[in-house]
Amino acid sequence: MRLILIGYGVVAQSLTKILTVRKQEILKRHKMHPRVVAIVDRGGSALNPKGLDLEKVEATKKKYGSVAAIPEYGSPDKTAQDIIENLDAEVVIEATPTNLNSGEPGMSHIEEALKSGKNVVTVNKGPLALALPALSEMATYNDVHLRFGGTVGGGTPILDFGKKCLSFDKLIAIEGILNGSTNYMLTEMEQHGTTFEEALSEAQDKGYAEADPSLDVDGLDAAAKLVIMANWFTDKEVTLKDISIKGIRDIKPENLKEASERGFAIKLIGRIDEELKVGPGELRKSDPLCIGGTLNAVKFQSEFAGDEIIIGKGAGGPETASAILRDLLDIREKM
Amino acid sequence: MKIIMKFGGTSLNSADKVRNVSRIVKDHSQNNQITIVASALSGVTNLLEKLSKQSKHNSKKIIANELEKFTKLHTNISKDSIKDQKIKEEVLENILSIINELKSVLEGVYAIGEITPRSRDKILSFGERLTVTIITGALKDIGISAEPFTGAKVGIVTDDKYGEANPLMNITKMRISETLQPLLSKGIIPVVTGFMAATQTGDITTLGRGGSDFTATILGAALSVDEVWICTDVNGMMTTDPKIISDARTISQLSYSEALEMTVFGAKALHPRAIEPARENKIPVRIKNTLDLTGPDTLVSNDQSVIKGEIAKSVALIKDVAMVNIGGAGMVGKPGIAAKVFETFAKEEINILMISQSVSEANISLVIHKHNLENAVNTLELSLLSRGFANRINAEDDVCVIAIVGAGMKGSQGVAARVFKAVADKRINVRMIAQGSSELNISIVVKEKSCEKAVMAIHKEFDMGKS
Repeated sequence: MRLILIGYGVVAQSLTKILTVRKQEILKRHKMHPRVVAIVDRGGSALNPKGLDLEKVEATKKKYGSVAAIPEYGSPDKTAQDIIENLDAEVVIEATPTNLNSGEPGMSHIEEALKSGKNVVTVNKGPLALALPALSEMATYNDVHLRFGGTVGGGTPILDFGKKCLSFDKLIAIEGILNGSTNYMLTEMEQHGTTFEEALSEAQDKGYAEADPSLDVDGLDAAAKLVIMANWFTDKEVTLKDISIKGIRDIKPENLKEASERGFAIKLIGRIDEELKVGPGELRKSDPLCIGGTLNAVKFQSEFAGDEIIIGKGAGGPETASAILRDLLDIREKM
Repeated sequence: MKIIMKFGGTSLNSADKVRNVSRIVKDHSQNNQITIVASALSGVTNLLEKLSKQSKHNSKKIIANELEKFTKLHTNISKDSIKDQKIKEEVLENILSIINELKSVLEGVYAIGEITPRSRDKILSFGERLTVTIITGALKDIGISAEPFTGAKVGIVTDDKYGEANPLMNITKMRISETLQPLLSKGIIPVVTGFMAATQTGDITTLGRGGSDFTATILGAALSVDEVWICTDVNGMMTTDPKIISDARTISQLSYSEALEMTVFGAKALHPRAIEPARENKIPVRIKNTLDLTGPDTLVSNDQSVIKGEIAKSVALIKDVAMVNIGGAGMVGKPGIAAKVFETFAKEEINILMISQSVSEANISLVIHKHNLENAVNTLELSLLSRGFANRINAEDDVCVIAIVGAGMKGSQGVAARVFKAVADKRINVRMIAQGSSELNISIVVKEKSCEKAVMAIHKEFDMGKS
């Protein structure tokens, strides 16, 4: 199976690492021989139709900052668009940074891949949040698969788990804590009485939150995940504009303290029922959904099976890379 | 309100009519966000179809001759409908450059000596491109800011079934709201070509005959408009053909399913495929007369409200049909005869309008379009007679179908009895009957010579006329 890797950040680097280290096992256990035929990063691209030497790729990236520096196979000016359209491959892995305004550049990459008949695995939420119904339609029309297991819950297989929970059952509601950085902040604010600003800078120091924290604290990241879940689990065809979103900027330590005394915690909660909503809400502390720190948790409420909850780490390089591998395996089985 | 206004060719085929259309748009643009969809001038798509068929035989000279007439038609209307000299010149220049492009496409087809479905669609799409150029000019002429668009540029993405392409609705909705919504918010009126769209890779496709109605409801769904107006040359959908009964009246309200039944039975005011995007997104469609905009019109919407006592809403007459009877004792108790018939017809691409079979199984009757008759009888004889499945196949080509439509018929007893009594009182014999289990319509076949009398009798029986 030939792979094109667009974006070579933490997640994609973890992926090539796993592919190198686990090569024999993947071949033996899963009868799969993934070959990365091209990698594109900010500095350019590296391309070899026979498959790139991933150890060399990693070393070059570390030393020179871009895969374009690889002798013979590297090129500073071949664009992602160009490679996706013209290079033969089965799967395009889209791992560029999330952009919730236009979805670009990921949006164009995914569209181009689907149009040229290639399967897509994306860990980039932007294009999905803005256009999942359209992109799914495009995939169906071109008879290829679009998979995005790593976009919700990082390596925690929330989408797969939920699908199992809901097969043959009627969904009542889905409720979850979908953003690790804000959950860390709220936990800190509750336990140590720190202010929003203090909690934010602490989260940034620890690398849990981005330099521009608005994606997290204004609820957009959680809303993007809610869009993905709504399209995946229900017959709703929705995008980000269909979600009512409120962030956690207004939450004060006093609010948390007061709730705590009553036995509740304030969390940033995403909920799917008749409506689609992200906003601060109270959870009883004894509720298994009420988790602390950077964890993610999602509860599926269905008519017969009742409540089922999945909890796991919501982000991380190797974790999310493992979700990509699951998606690849899934596509291979359907091919 | 947010409105789509679609203008058909008959609403645009003279300078006066173009001016009338731009006045209508101006009058409504004060309080509404309007998007216009325009068809080609009447007759133009037929002409393009002819040119596309012939261009592989035609010489350059014939193409040039035809195109000259074509150019004159469009430039004359522009000259007389636009007063401002600068706007007029700009429009004329655009028309010439579009026609030049058409010319090179036709010459290309001539040079290769082959017309593919793809090049045919490209040729057919030129008519609408010319009308949107003219309308945009006429609107600017009276001080309205407008911008012309092709269906492709606006973002209608379809599959590659050239000639009758299907939109990929989710992609289309997303693209259209990206391109048009910002314009509408700025008070600019988009003028969009009906009928044409493009595949995901940008090749021009067409949406089939009547495709401009389809364009209108696709845009309506994408922009979540309050109403889609189909502006045409009749006052909405009528209880029956006013040429048969002067008493015919505009039906003020129809459900999507009723409208669909009626369009299938030949109500030309709205194209059947156009109903789906409207129904799916619950967008009301209003059918209006461009020359009598404030007159009676038909609202097609989700509202299944059945006015008390109104059982049947319309009665349509479908001519140019023929009835085929297949009979023989050999058919009794033998499974697969009907399948055989359908298979034969499907292979020959013959559409079946009506079917009826008696419980005895000794007879199957079918109604098809008259132009298919010889072909149908011949293929049936080959596949059924020769193998002993049937021993007689005969045809009647002096019949017509009368279709009675109305959601109120569902669950009300005695409708069929009233139909038969009404016709029987006029001493008209019913040759064949069919009613779907949806109970939205009853169709009967009568001899052609008495068909108008039958329509009148039914129209009267159900009080469809003016009160």
